Amino acid sequence: MLPGAMFGRLFAMTAAMPSPAPASTAPTAAAGAVNASKIYGTGDAEVKALDDVTVSFETGKFTAIMGPSGSGKSTLLHCLAGLDTLTSGATYIGDKYLAKLSDKDLTELRRTDIGFVFQAFNLIPTLTAEENIKLPMMLGGETGDTAWIDQVVTAVKLQGRLQHRPSELSGGQQQRVAVARALASRPKIIFADEPTGNLDSETGAEILDFMRRAVREFGQTIVMVTHDPGAASYADRVVFVGDGKIVGELNNPTADQIIDQMKQHGS
Amino acid sequence: MSFSSTALLARKSIRARLGRTISIALMMTAGVSFVVGSFVLADSLRATFTGLFDELVSEVDLEVRAAEVFDGDSNRDPIDATIADGLQGIEGIEIIEPSLARFAQLLDQDGDVVATTGGPALGFSYIGEGGLQGVTLKDGRAPSGADEVVVDKASADRVGYSVGDTVNYLTDTGTHSATLVGTIGAADSDGFLGASVVAVDIPTAIEKFGSGGKVDAIDIGLADGADATAVQTAIENVLPPRTEVVTGEVLAAEGQSEVDGFISVFGTGLLIFAFITTFIVAFIINNIFQITIGQRLRELALLRAVGASAKQVRRMIVAEAFVLGLIATALGILGGIGVSRFIVWAFNQAGAGFPDTSTVLEPRTFVAAAVVGIGVTMLSVFVPARRASTIPPVAAMRPELGFDALKKQQLIIGAVVTAVGSLLLIIGLFVQPGSAALWATVAGLGALTLFLGVASVSSTIAPPVTRAIGWPIAKLFKVPGVLARDNVVRAPRRTSSSASALMIGVALVSASAVFASSLRATITDVLDNAITADYIVTDPNFFGLSPAVAEGLDALPELDAVTPIRQASGQVDGESKSIGAINPDAFDKLVDPDLQDGAIAGLGPNEVLIHSDPANDLDKQVGDTIDIVWQSGAQSTLTVAGIYGDATFGNWLISLDTLDAVSDAPARDLFIIAKLADGVTAAEGDAAVAAATAEFPQANVQTNAEFRKSQEDQINQLLLTITILLLMSIIIAVLGIAITLALGVFERTREIGLLRAVGMNRRQLRRSVRWEAVIVSSFGAVVGIVLGTFLGVIASLAVPDDVISKLAFNPVIIVVVMVFAVVAGLAASLYPSFKASNMDVLEAIATE
Repeated sequence: MLPGAMFGRLFAMTAAMPSPAPASTAPTAAAGAVNASKIYGTGDAEVKALDDVTVSFETGKFTAIMGPSGSGKSTLLHCLAGLDTLTSGATYIGDKYLAKLSDKDLTELRRTDIGFVFQAFNLIPTLTAEENIKLPMMLGGETGDTAWIDQVVTAVKLQGRLQHRPSELSGGQQQRVAVARALASRPKIIFADEPTGNLDSETGAEILDFMRRAVREFGQTIVMVTHDPGAASYADRVVFVGDGKIVGELNNPTADQIIDQMKQHGS
Repeated sequence: MSFSSTALLARKSIRARLGRTISIALMMTAGVSFVVGSFVLADSLRATFTGLFDELVSEVDLEVRAAEVFDGDSNRDPIDATIADGLQGIEGIEIIEPSLARFAQLLDQDGDVVATTGGPALGFSYIGEGGLQGVTLKDGRAPSGADEVVVDKASADRVGYSVGDTVNYLTDTGTHSATLVGTIGAADSDGFLGASVVAVDIPTAIEKFGSGGKVDAIDIGLADGADATAVQTAIENVLPPRTEVVTGEVLAAEGQSEVDGFISVFGTGLLIFAFITTFIVAFIINNIFQITIGQRLRELALLRAVGASAKQVRRMIVAEAFVLGLIATALGILGGIGVSRFIVWAFNQAGAGFPDTSTVLEPRTFVAAAVVGIGVTMLSVFVPARRASTIPPVAAMRPELGFDALKKQQLIIGAVVTAVGSLLLIIGLFVQPGSAALWATVAGLGALTLFLGVASVSSTIAPPVTRAIGWPIAKLFKVPGVLARDNVVRAPRRTSSSASALMIGVALVSASAVFASSLRATITDVLDNAITADYIVTDPNFFGLSPAVAEGLDALPELDAVTPIRQASGQVDGESKSIGAINPDAFDKLVDPDLQDGAIAGLGPNEVLIHSDPANDLDKQVGDTIDIVWQSGAQSTLTVAGIYGDATFGNWLISLDTLDAVSDAPARDLFIIAKLADGVTAAEGDAAVAAATAEFPQANVQTNAEFRKSQEDQINQLLLTITILLLMSIIIAVLGIAITLALGVFERTREIGLLRAVGMNRRQLRRSVRWEAVIVSSFGAVVGIVLGTFLGVIASLAVPDDVISKLAFNPVIIVVVMVFAVVAGLAASLYPSFKASNMDVLEAIATE
């Protein structure tokens, strides 16, 4: 068996144990960036998307990254998730520095340790909802923890929709499938990129509420990029990004606090 | 490891894109069918002909025939019929059957020639049932004596002869009348592969066919229990010199190799076209996969993001292609059987008279089908699959990054490939290393490589060329025209790859056209300058004309000069050469062979004229001598009397008298050329020539103009056949453009919705898609014509000067091809333009 797959199994076993209450956990970093810089283009066309960013994200916490468009928040997320590479500095997931990993190891990491929820086009159009949910496990040649997957499916209220293709599902249902997929393999961390950006506020609230429950009840770690203060208010902590730098943060914020903070940063 | 997930993804993808899957599989099926059909047809024909031949000689245990002094290219000399008498009394021989086959023309009730259905007019000896020939008596009995004859049942049925009728037939000795006592056929069939056959007993054949007391061979059947080797030795002891006795197995093997030679030429010809079709199909499949991978970019990136490895993505694409290849192979085998049946049918419609063939499926055929079906499909997706695996996962959110990964500079690679292809082609055609098969393969590979290179380079030239082609369309059709042009120009890579398949088809047609035009120009040139003959007499039966025809013409006062051209094999320095015999004085008046030294007229009995090539090779000047060994065993030392430069009549020429002195073969004239005397009008000449040849219906008299026309007709026929065989490729190429266009329309759904939303009507939209197709197909045609003309020119240059010495171009064909390209574009746009104009505007805009 592959080391990665074995790791996945071990992880699944530990995660299956009753989760301790998040509040009692000593704050340990699930992921983070150290002196991370990302520069696009050269010469006059040079753009510093990330400028010497150092930040960490605690295990079992729901963190929101906020900032105006072009602030570098999405780039930060992509680099944290190993989807994009840094110009200098480092990002890590758990105890793994991503820059040191080969494409093969990065793939392995994405499959076992990371879950993704994107703004749109989250699902493979040719696969059913169930197949989409199980896809990361299938790619690793595993069946996954059936009981856990059932629990997740029930939680996102997708029981009757499992055999539907994405085109037969509403936008909210599609996003719920995406969240279920992200949770299904019990990753160390879930990265969400504007997960409610394409949804109406009610459906968006449902998704966000579910994400918060996943953190509170299952001890899941989630990092979410958003520009919506309402969405960010579901998070335990909000990190503000501007011009490629961390410009501030709030713990257990309300929407109003977030709006105030945003005004401070001039966005 | 995770094969199941790859398989699942591939299966789902195939099912979700069923239309595309089916169209790719069907195109591939067409290619595989063609390949399988070529193999099946060749194998089936080989089995049939071999079976037929085996049956013909199966009863023959031994055969006495003329021994060849060297391997010549003409038939064996006949032998004295009296040799059979010497064999009487040898112990172990049961049947002695001399055989003789010559020209004999069956005449119908009105005394007119019975036209054959593709074969020659043949006469042979027949001793009836119990004989050694594989001839079956269908009706009546065997002929006996000078007044009895049998004919093939197919001809008898066609003309309406029945047993008991009086039948007339014509041979070299004149017209003969006999009673029809029976009908015959080869083995199980009613006829002899389309020939008309007149058969008589052996003494009658020797007399009436005018063989001069000779027969072709003597077949021997052994008594039960006789020792073949002992009998063979006994026969050898009584045989005169220059005769030999061989076993039935040797005859069967020789027949087999002749059949093989014919079949492999035929089969290889078909295979070449089959591979061209497959090559074009591969191009289109590659193109379709390339485009769909662009369309599936986000999906593939998403797979990477959720944990699929690059290898898994690549494997998924390859698995999809594998399934397609598998389907195509299975369907292609069935289709191939159909294709082979169709080709037999088509040839028979044209009068080829193929016998009923059973369908032979050799294991090799299945291997070829799989190699082509699966192999070519996999090869076509090799690059697209590699590309797909380079899509970074981040493209799931930022597709523009993914498109960057798909774009790669290919101009340099394309140019290198083009150069390598041209080089191989030129080495193959001009240097001609090794055997014919080797250099043809090198040249073929060169042409394929050249096509790949040009297809790749053409994306660089696409923008300016398509802009130019689109200019009048944009002027004429305003907004739809401008959109059409811009859509073509903005995607040069797609334009060039979808036009490439058509480009190859057009290039091959254009190359054939240049080659044919040059061939025609050369023939015209020869007829205009080198040959001043007014009449050309040929023999469609391939037996050669009786010398009496030329003698009759020579006696006419209306003709100034008449010479037959006879052919023999001679051995010079151990090599077999084809040597022509002529009447030198007449030849001198009729032909200008570009004499470089010496004289033609007055060519003496021990003199020879040679072409400058052998003169140079052998280092001979006028006055030098050359030793020649003849098939009769005779040896001559000939003095070079002249050296000439035009090889139309071959490299070696001697006088008829010289040949007569050394040849045992019956004198047969390959053809005759003649020229009117001064002051004789064409009408007078025509009448005189017609009268002189009236008794020889086998002599096909043509005036210079008629001969030229028949030569041109043959060339046109050849060009037409090639074009028809290329048609399949061209249709597939047009289909390829249609599919690419449909994919393009699908890709631009949102854009099209936007255009409709801001006020473009359905008609304008259809028009825009239609002209886009026309620009793409015209681009393919333009590049194809340029490339094809280049190929045609170098192929024409590579051919020896006696075949092609002039280059010619046919502007009509270029115009026809361009018109065809426009029509093809219009046809290709039918479905995509319908699809585009029927799109729901709101849905289209909402599409991501």
